Amino acid sequence: MDVFFNQAFTGLSTASILLLVALGLAIIYGAMGVINLAHGEFVMLGAYAAWFLQSFLGIGLFLGLPLVFVFVALLGLAIERGLVRWLYHRPLDTILATWGVGIVLQQLVRMIAGPDSRYVERPAMLDGNLRIADVYMSNYRIFLLFFSVAVLVATWYLMTRTEFGTKLRAVIQNREISECYGIRTERVYALTFAYGAGLAGIAGALITPLASVTPGMGTNLVVDAFLVVIVGGVGSLLGTAAASGLVGEATALFSFLLNDTIGRVAVLMAIIVLIRFWPQGLFADRIRR
Amino acid sequence: MAHLELKELGVHFGGLRAVDGLNLSLKFGELRCLLGPNGAGKSTTLDLICGKTLPTAGRVVFDDRDITGLKEYQRARCGIGRKFQTPAVFRDLTVCENLEVARSQHPGVLSALGVFRSRVRGRMAEVLELVELTGELHTRAGNLSHGQTQWLEIAMLLMQDSRLILFDEPTAGMTIQETHKTAGIFNALKGSHTMIVVEHDMGFVREIAETVTVMDMGTLLAEGSIADVENDPAVREAYLANGGDDA
Amino acid sequence: MNQNFRFDCVGYALFAALVLLAVPWYLSFDGFELNTFARYLALGMVAMALALSWGYAGILNLGQAATFGIGAYIMAMHLKLGASAANPGGLPDFMGWTNVETLPWFWVPFHSLTVTLLAGVLLPAAVAGVIGTFMFRGRITGVFVAIITLALLVAIQLVFVEYQMYTGGQNGLTGLAPLVLAGWTADPYSTAFYYFVAGCLLVATAACVALTRSKVGLILRAIKENPDRVRFFGYHVSSFETVVFCISAMIAGWAGMLYVLVLEFASPTYMGVPFSLAIVIWCAVGGRNSLVAAALGGIVVNILEGRLSDLFVEGWTLFLGVTFILVVLFMPDGLFGVFRRIATRLHERLRRHRNSTGKALPTGAGAVPARAGEQGGQ
Repeated sequence: MDVFFNQAFTGLSTASILLLVALGLAIIYGAMGVINLAHGEFVMLGAYAAWFLQSFLGIGLFLGLPLVFVFVALLGLAIERGLVRWLYHRPLDTILATWGVGIVLQQLVRMIAGPDSRYVERPAMLDGNLRIADVYMSNYRIFLLFFSVAVLVATWYLMTRTEFGTKLRAVIQNREISECYGIRTERVYALTFAYGAGLAGIAGALITPLASVTPGMGTNLVVDAFLVVIVGGVGSLLGTAAASGLVGEATALFSFLLNDTIGRVAVLMAIIVLIRFWPQGLFADRIRR
Repeated sequence: MAHLELKELGVHFGGLRAVDGLNLSLKFGELRCLLGPNGAGKSTTLDLICGKTLPTAGRVVFDDRDITGLKEYQRARCGIGRKFQTPAVFRDLTVCENLEVARSQHPGVLSALGVFRSRVRGRMAEVLELVELTGELHTRAGNLSHGQTQWLEIAMLLMQDSRLILFDEPTAGMTIQETHKTAGIFNALKGSHTMIVVEHDMGFVREIAETVTVMDMGTLLAEGSIADVENDPAVREAYLANGGDDA
Repeated sequence: MNQNFRFDCVGYALFAALVLLAVPWYLSFDGFELNTFARYLALGMVAMALALSWGYAGILNLGQAATFGIGAYIMAMHLKLGASAANPGGLPDFMGWTNVETLPWFWVPFHSLTVTLLAGVLLPAAVAGVIGTFMFRGRITGVFVAIITLALLVAIQLVFVEYQMYTGGQNGLTGLAPLVLAGWTADPYSTAFYYFVAGCLLVATAACVALTRSKVGLILRAIKENPDRVRFFGYHVSSFETVVFCISAMIAGWAGMLYVLVLEFASPTYMGVPFSLAIVIWCAVGGRNSLVAAALGGIVVNILEGRLSDLFVEGWTLFLGVTFILVVLFMPDGLFGVFRRIATRLHERLRRHRNSTGKALPTGAGAVPARAGEQGGQ
């Protein structure tokens, strides 16, 4: 039985990381239909920013989070203004252009910070494990779980309960008409992109204690996060959360039953089937406009 | 004997009953005009016949064959062609290429592998002459005027040579002369092709129609000659209630 | 379908002249140098295969490297068996290290060259056929095709790395025997070998150009623009899409086999996401709407990579990324689009000139591919 709970917790932990990474992607894709393949590199930059703050300025992970967010968000803003906004009418080309951005960012980091793995220490107060019966749960992973849910709630609040969110949803529904009502759609898009990028930065910073930081760390993350976003359904935050949970738990389950690699293959296959039969995502219907 | 028969046909989208228990029967070679106020379900009826929308109730019988469950391409192969409300030509292809796509008597992949040039003779030359696009053979369809685009789509339907052709507002955006000419083409097709025409331009309808069917709220309201229908109190009621924008 | 035919022929002829004459002459028929170029040709071939599905049918296949890799491994398995004949049980060395005792059943058929050559194109086609039918019957298009093919690529690479005892895992298949084809031993550092690869590329390109010039190509372009409208003319859209997807996979598998012959090893990186997206980059840089241009794109980008990465190793990737962004932003049709615009303008000026002077001048169509040709030769 503990084996089961341990596995379930591993799944939840995977899911929380997926959610953190996928949330920014989901917002950008849901709002603008842009497949941002540079998202993985935003995550990577967040991780490097956390490493830089800790190693050179002595700023701990938590204190550094707002700085990381602002840094990556500003970078996202620059990329949106300089590149992505010219491609809104060519969605397939955004895949290509953002992949190019990813290559450039990765190479820049490789040239500046070097190709070696970097490590970031987790905050001392989150060392240790929580033990319930024979199930051991790392405090840091528990923290991640709650933090990702908190980010989800905050994002949901931003999208549904604030003026910015109302504007954004208006723009998503009909860009032209929103403009007629005086909404500056350009600005809404730019801010949304920046917010999504900032979230990626936070995700990157928070996974540093769990994974080594390398220039290429984003590539695998972005593929997984993308699958989660598509499975969850375009524009549905709840869908993204549910899909993260589903994919995280399924990965844990298959990895347990088979092995890590084949478990991942099985999940990928399942996702392909899901996309084939529900290309609009599992949770898109409920928010259909 | 009926060429096309709709039996208790119905479709609903969510709560909206777009078409509800529609019965319609056309003889071979007949031209039928479908009238009705906006939202009456005319275009949806055409969608149901050509397979763009699948019905939630009832049956479509064509050539004594139940085609209710067939996909669009299978229905097209049975001999049903469709002209869309907004001209649906391939804007990146030339006029000649558009007509070659429409010449779809052998729609398989293998037979398409063996075709390397369009012969602008015979049927294609005739059709081009008829719609006055001979000079525009190698023009990209996207560069044609609106009227010419309409003609091109009509030409494509003539190339496809379906036995049943569904027209959705074929004269929208045409000048009076062009409309008149379209009427001439339609009258020439009568007898050899069965046609359903959705149209708002009553002048055009008078030129071509033998029998008209009036729909309202997804159901059949009246059927008969134009004079009969125009004097039908139920029809007047329906148009007045809906603002009478097109009577 | 006719008026572009001459344009195509001229472009193809110049491409053939470039590959068969200009390049070997420029490299003074040096086998070692030609080997590098044979590699570029194989990569150009897979870019051409992608242009067939992406440019002509709008199917953005981000998993093109999967079919390329399958072709590569099939050829490598045959050559590995050739190199392992002296081992106990004819077992490849890496299987011995991982305690495999008998040759797995799926290795056995690749003793035969005929089976290998057939499987190298048919197996990728079969994979593409299954996934294509699965996707296109469900009317999956655009972004979703890109995502599904990408996920499939990741899955296939994972399997190849995981089953180390059968595939050599992360190391791939190395220590291969040379290919013996009808009594001719393919020495990758010979002029004859270069011409063998060039011949394959030209035959494949000719076949694909013919395909795009047939009515199938026309229907595909129509599908790319408006699949629903095509259905109402009675065409079975998913069959057309699946067929072109399969043919693209066959060419990619073929290119993969050639690539293994050139490099003399197979590696799971051939099926990696970065490699697969690199193929997309080459295709976009050359011009996705022309097969010859896409092939040239693959060749030119790789020539540049070969030359520039010698000069500055680190900067090359940066340069490639920036170039790619600029191409997507400013030249959506790649170099081909630029040349075609120049050609159209020249053509028009010539015609105006001819009309005003009454003299007959040669048409401008030839000028375009000539320029494209110069690009490839540098």
